[in-house]
Amino acid sequence: MKEPGTFPIHDSKIEALRVWRVHFSYNGSPVLRDVNFDVKPGTFSVVLGRNGSGKSTLFRIIVGMLRPQSGTVSVFGRTFHDLSLRERTRLLGFLPQHHHAVFPFAVEDVVLTGRAAWVGLMPKEEDRRAALEAMERLGIGHLRGKPYTALSGGEQQLVLIARVLAQNPRLLLLDEPTSHLDFVNANRLLALVRESLCPHMTVVAILHDPNLAFRHGTHFLFLVDGTIVQLPEKTPPWDRHWLSRVYGMAVETVPYGDRAFVVPR
Amino acid sequence: MPLRIRQILVFGLPGPLLVVSLFLGPADSIRALEVMQWFGAGLGVADGPENAELVGAIVWDIRIPRIVLTFLVGGSLAASGASLQAVFRNPLVSPYILGLSSGAALGAALAMATARLPVYPSAFFFGMFAVGCSYVLGRVGKTVSSVSLVLSGVIVSGIFTALLTLVQFLTDPFKLQTIVHWTMGNLHNADWKKLRDSWPFLMAGFVGLFLLRWRMNVLALGDQEAWAVGVHPEREKILILIPASLSASASVAAAGVIGMVGLVVPHMVRMMLGPDHRLGIPACFAFGGGFLVLVDDLSRVLTAFELPIGIFTTLVGGPFFIYLLRRSRLGWEA
Amino acid sequence: MIVKQPDTITTRSRLGRGGPPSDRPWLWAAVAAAVLALVLGLQRPVAAAPVQAEDFRGTTIVLPQPAQRIVCLIESALSGLYMLGLKDRIVGVPASVYKESLRPYYEALDDRIRSRTLPAPGNWDFINMESIAALKPDLVVLWAHQTEAVEVLERRGFPVFGVFLQRFDDVHREIRALGRLAGVEEKAQTLIGLAMEERQWVRDRVRSSPGANAPSVYFMWAQGDLETSGGTSTVNELIEEAGGRNVFGHLTQEHLVVHWESLLKADPDVIVMWVNETRDPSHVLVDPRWRSVRAVRKGRVHELPDIFTSDLWTLKYPLAVLTVASWLHPDAFVDMDLTARKMSFLEKLYGSSAVARVAARAIAN
Repeated sequence: MKEPGTFPIHDSKIEALRVWRVHFSYNGSPVLRDVNFDVKPGTFSVVLGRNGSGKSTLFRIIVGMLRPQSGTVSVFGRTFHDLSLRERTRLLGFLPQHHHAVFPFAVEDVVLTGRAAWVGLMPKEEDRRAALEAMERLGIGHLRGKPYTALSGGEQQLVLIARVLAQNPRLLLLDEPTSHLDFVNANRLLALVRESLCPHMTVVAILHDPNLAFRHGTHFLFLVDGTIVQLPEKTPPWDRHWLSRVYGMAVETVPYGDRAFVVPR
Repeated sequence: MPLRIRQILVFGLPGPLLVVSLFLGPADSIRALEVMQWFGAGLGVADGPENAELVGAIVWDIRIPRIVLTFLVGGSLAASGASLQAVFRNPLVSPYILGLSSGAALGAALAMATARLPVYPSAFFFGMFAVGCSYVLGRVGKTVSSVSLVLSGVIVSGIFTALLTLVQFLTDPFKLQTIVHWTMGNLHNADWKKLRDSWPFLMAGFVGLFLLRWRMNVLALGDQEAWAVGVHPEREKILILIPASLSASASVAAAGVIGMVGLVVPHMVRMMLGPDHRLGIPACFAFGGGFLVLVDDLSRVLTAFELPIGIFTTLVGGPFFIYLLRRSRLGWEA
Repeated sequence: MIVKQPDTITTRSRLGRGGPPSDRPWLWAAVAAAVLALVLGLQRPVAAAPVQAEDFRGTTIVLPQPAQRIVCLIESALSGLYMLGLKDRIVGVPASVYKESLRPYYEALDDRIRSRTLPAPGNWDFINMESIAALKPDLVVLWAHQTEAVEVLERRGFPVFGVFLQRFDDVHREIRALGRLAGVEEKAQTLIGLAMEERQWVRDRVRSSPGANAPSVYFMWAQGDLETSGGTSTVNELIEEAGGRNVFGHLTQEHLVVHWESLLKADPDVIVMWVNETRDPSHVLVDPRWRSVRAVRKGRVHELPDIFTSDLWTLKYPLAVLTVASWLHPDAFVDMDLTARKMSFLEKLYGSSAVARVAARAIAN
């Protein structure tokens, strides 16, 4: 666990992710308004905000599934929308929400598909090694022969994370990776993400639960009504008044260790 | 049963089956012993049968082209079915369900009726067009649900069958007979010429599917999941649909619409070898080919006259599929 | 069994209707004039006695008077009606008579077909009920297996004669029954006699042939090389009457698709092809699949010349028998003018030299 207030700062000059003046409206009504933020390499940044604040739209814009009406997204200094899908995939990986499996592929075969951006027609031995390594890093090597569909929700999520690891991007986006997980698995997953992925990889995650976020994240972004609100200087992210403003309801914070727990009042 | 043995069964059984099939025929035809003597004479280890010329004609001109064509058609339909199921992430689809078969039959019939179009390309074009229709019509917003895809496929298939019937009606004085041959399959006209005409298309389709078989794994996980790892789902679907349509349409142009093979065989193969297409596509080809040869053997041996092969595949495949459904061991979750 | 409804009969028995003759002379004159007009002008039979005959479903058709307005949707039966001299009573014909292959013959038989004014309300596979009803027929001739159409027509009160032909005798039976229903039974008998006489002549010729062992024959329909007829068929009878043996006579189906290898194994001496638009004997002779067959090696592959003159479902069948017999037993017909014989037979059947003239080219081939 990091020291309070001493978030790791990498001396790389290039931002891992830069979102610059992004506007997006859907059917004429604005969803995102002038969104600007940077993510430093090697951090585990968490995007917090209420339902409908535009988090998922922001995500889809970053991964390139939606195009903003204006503004740019750059990943490690490269304008994302100008890149081919394959080039993007090598820079940025993401975990789609609600994966529903139809065929009972073996875990290893699922993880291996993460190599698609690196593979021509057929994966080679080195791709298989990368897949096995990814599984080992997450401690799921023993599951490799099991059918994916027979796993628990937590295990399935780990398999999909291993798939992204095998993909080996420099920036990883997670859209509510804990939404189907129980309390134990959610914490285990996020701890794993931070400890075994960062700082080799930059991680940005959307999380609903501020407590999970504050426990595992290193940086925090707050999205309110389609725009990023700046945390005032000298204010910790778990400041009671600040969070009451972000969530639009009064909250209480309970100090715990170097951070705090948030509960609704 | 260990995987290794199951693999040997799937890949190894078709070989001996093809050989045995050479010795099988209707009761009023030549006897197996005569075929053996003929081969023996060919190898110089035995005296030929008395009617060597007839045996030679039957084995060489009739049985070998029919068995080879049957194998290629069965294998192509099964491999095409497996790839369609992967592309659409839908274990209920097949060339037949998606209207590919009836579209190809219409294309081939049009080409034959007008005598202006080349038969196999025309079958391919119409087959591909029919699948495209099913896919576009089955789309609700941005997603294609399993059920709506099957429903739109049934409708597209119905429309193309109606058009096929119309073409037959307008051009052929002996309509009904010919329509039955188109819609229930027909292998009894297999000969070297038919084999020569069809094998380049059948093999091109299979080679395409074989090369893309791992990409099917990527696609089978879902559109977003494919996108996430750098595979453009729509583009990739079209890329796989081309050889899948080529395989199935060439089968239809050569042998008419043979139901159930493209649906049932991929399920059998998944049950035995799992869903990985790297193994599954060649396995479907071998097993589907063997399956159709076996069914055709039954139809050749059991009746004194020719019946459309589709009758047998449907009678064998239909109940088997229902049995699988009820045991819900289909190797997929809806 | 379908029983005729009595009201059908009464509503159609116009001539039998009316009370006792009045004593007013103008009425007598009118009646006399009407009768005279009927006899002279329309040449209708004077007596309006009911007629009856059994059709091929086993149904007895009873008409209050000989049929006057006949709709016939079977081309072969239509030919029979023209032979029976019933041209003026035909009000509806099968669409197939307007097809290229048949039209010249029927144009020679009937000016209304030349001018395209004779309605064709259907065929063996499609029937327009409205058009049939509009023609107000008092007899409709259909295939017996067109059961739905038969039922609908009978429900509407139109008597239907159902036809099903498996043997040449069935053709005789059909002509006899149609003759009876039209009140021309004697003519029917004469025609049947003609056909039987001709058949007997062929039979005698074949029997006189030296080395009269029956060659084996494969009959090939136009739908495909493997489509043939089994033992219960006019084809089988054709082959046997011509002094041959059907290689698939042991199978019972009227029409079937045989296995290639059964065919090669059967190894027929002669192949007789039905009139075929896509294949000629020359195609069969060079087809590698056929090459082991004796008939192909000996060049004994023949195709019947045209649909009208080769018809097996009309009294013309002796023509086809004679043609096939001359292929199977050429020695029996040496130095005989078969063309002239066929022409004269055709002329006698139709009572028209016009038809024979149209047929001349087909027959000469």
